[in-house]
Amino acid sequence: MCTGRLDPALVAKAFKGGIDGILVVGCYFGDCHYITGNHQAKARIDMTRRLFRFIGLNQERLSFRQCSSGEASVFVELVSEFDEKIRDLGPLGGDGDQVKAPGIFQKLKAAEAVLAGEKIRWVIGKRTPFLETGNMYGEIFTEHEFNRAIDMIIVEEMEVQEILMRLKQTASSVKDLAADLAIPPARVFRYITALKRKGMVALSKVAGRSPIFQMTDQEV
Amino acid sequence: MPDKKEDIRIGVFLCHCGSNIAGYLDMEKLEEFSRKLPHVTFVQRNLYTCSEGGINEIKKGIEEQDLNRVVVASCTPRTHEPLFRSSCGEAGLNPYLFEMVNIRDQCSWVHMQEKEAGTTKAKDLIRMGVAKAALLEPQEPIMSKVHCRALVIGGGMAGMTASTALANRGYEVVLVEKEESLGGMLNSLHLIGPTMTDARALVQEKIDAITTHPKITVFTNAKVTEARGFIGKYDVDITTPSGVTTIDIGVIVVATGGRALVPEGLYGYDGKRVVTQLEMEELLRKGLDKGIENVVIIQCVGSRNEERPYCSRICCQTAVKNAMLIREQVPGAKVSILYRDMQMYGVENEEMFRDSKARGIRYINYDPANPPRVEEDRVHVYHPLFGRDMDLPADMVVLSTPVVSAEDAEEISQLLRVPIDENGFFLEGHVKLKPLDFATDGVFLAGSARFPANIRETVAQGLGAASRASIPLSKGSVVVEPIISVLADEDACRGCGLCVALCPYGALEIRTTDKGRKVHVIDVACKGCGVCAATCYQHALTINSFTDRQIGAQIEAFLD
Repeated sequence: MCTGRLDPALVAKAFKGGIDGILVVGCYFGDCHYITGNHQAKARIDMTRRLFRFIGLNQERLSFRQCSSGEASVFVELVSEFDEKIRDLGPLGGDGDQVKAPGIFQKLKAAEAVLAGEKIRWVIGKRTPFLETGNMYGEIFTEHEFNRAIDMIIVEEMEVQEILMRLKQTASSVKDLAADLAIPPARVFRYITALKRKGMVALSKVAGRSPIFQMTDQEV
Repeated sequence: MPDKKEDIRIGVFLCHCGSNIAGYLDMEKLEEFSRKLPHVTFVQRNLYTCSEGGINEIKKGIEEQDLNRVVVASCTPRTHEPLFRSSCGEAGLNPYLFEMVNIRDQCSWVHMQEKEAGTTKAKDLIRMGVAKAALLEPQEPIMSKVHCRALVIGGGMAGMTASTALANRGYEVVLVEKEESLGGMLNSLHLIGPTMTDARALVQEKIDAITTHPKITVFTNAKVTEARGFIGKYDVDITTPSGVTTIDIGVIVVATGGRALVPEGLYGYDGKRVVTQLEMEELLRKGLDKGIENVVIIQCVGSRNEERPYCSRICCQTAVKNAMLIREQVPGAKVSILYRDMQMYGVENEEMFRDSKARGIRYINYDPANPPRVEEDRVHVYHPLFGRDMDLPADMVVLSTPVVSAEDAEEISQLLRVPIDENGFFLEGHVKLKPLDFATDGVFLAGSARFPANIRETVAQGLGAASRASIPLSKGSVVVEPIISVLADEDACRGCGLCVALCPYGALEIRTTDKGRKVHVIDVACKGCGVCAATCYQHALTINSFTDRQIGAQIEAFLD
């Protein structure tokens, strides 16, 4: 078992359950017992931290550090340092985070679905080829470009998940969704159109002049 | 998925580990706590769960209490999981319905001063272990054949000893040496203490035994440049000036040795008047200049400092031995050894040390904060007992430098995916229980590649590693842990191939089945790292005994 097994969706699940910090300690690069598992772990943790920053959870609560199994004193240092940092931040959704409880837990619920979802896992899985050998058109991206793309995907995926979560509770119009979730109406409209095309959302009725949308039975 | 109707009966065995655990945690509280956990039907405390008595209790529990899951809360799975698993197996329970909780290394040892907090942490870990155990599923081990051929990397004393031992047992051995000739560091030595054996004669004897052995193939000027595969089935590329040879190999012994540190810039080292202990060996062999009157030996040169914090162990005995040899060749010469601490382990070394004092070797302790200074014809040192500076005349200064790791240690570590420590020495699987094995199955180590070792230790380790390596060779097959990737949900798999691209072992491939393109796990090649399971967006792949559901249950249990 390797840090490469760490599924980012499980990280979100743990935070959602009320854990205040997660420290992931892997081997040094080039020294991984599973060859490249730690590279994968680092990429996923970095991405998850970007997502956390976006949803208003202090990204310092999730950390990827490295030491070898022969370095007991380094390990102790890493753990003590992290422990101190988390104690400083206090409980999740308190003073240490931009978004407070209970709002942050709603965000984490959406985050868990995003991290378990196809788009972000696909892109993070393709990180190495995108950065090193190029995509199918031979385009190689810089780390900066890749991270910008990740950030865009995070925004879209989070907003889509939040819309779906809201629709799961109650059918709603684009206008109300936009107001409730503080997303520009044009973007909500775009997401709803796309979700409708995928068959995940359907028109429920028209109230006044606003179409009301609802979730279909299909599993997300 | 476990059958939901199955009545899950978990037995929890809490090990006292003598006083290792019980001395620092509240075992009664842990017992009481464990009884209340879901599905737990039996709890027992043992003085040593790993003892014969403890093991019998587990078996008894399975038979009499009808346990179908076993949790042992004790030490580390690195050393004891195989034992407990096989005990479950002997009692008729699938060995993979066993879960281990480490309350020693992770609780009692690190929280020795905090009994209450340590006990609380142990409760958390036990609760998590029990939660996972309830979801465990039986697994069947995977059998794989072993190529009956060993690769030994390094033709020094350790490598030669291991090669001969393996070959004498009838196994094919491929010995790879990077230098032109076999022998390693032994080639530069004169007489070996404490028995004063002639190093040259010993090397020649070993080389003859190897080169005439029909089972041993020697490659000199050669390097291992690639090692693909796993225990029993390695394909190894050996590169020599005449080209690359690929050989199928079953097990690998790493015996790459070390080298003596060249103390550039320390104590006026010049290789002429100020020499290293290794250069002294050469001078002793040629015969010392009879005009030498005063020799000063300085210990711990370039070791036990910030850069190299370790003690190289063998330099003290070498210094004492060479001091006596100097006195033997030039009886009138005065020899002083400036030391920090004398590391003279073992009865015979201790005896040699006493003997050297009787023969007039002078020992002066020095403080690393105020080290000796080598001047043109003397060595200046502060004598802590006299409380004043002394000037020792010196025609020759000998520096005892440590054995440091081989230049190619890091390269080999990456090639074989085995760890090295912060000093560049190879890291054994367990310092006491697996000193000559790596954590990776099928790879073994011996000699100064592991840590500075004298000739006796090197020979013992070479024999030991050969003995360990011959276990899979003699069995002819290995059983691979079934803790590997599985396609748990075939219908969900879209055959996208993302996991195939990410697998570090090439253990996944896409096959066209009657259900379309699906991923296939090559079980013996899979190491169970889990990268694929953390990648699959269809959640079709998972890792046996580390499924999302099991890990999720542990997280939930922790939060309870």
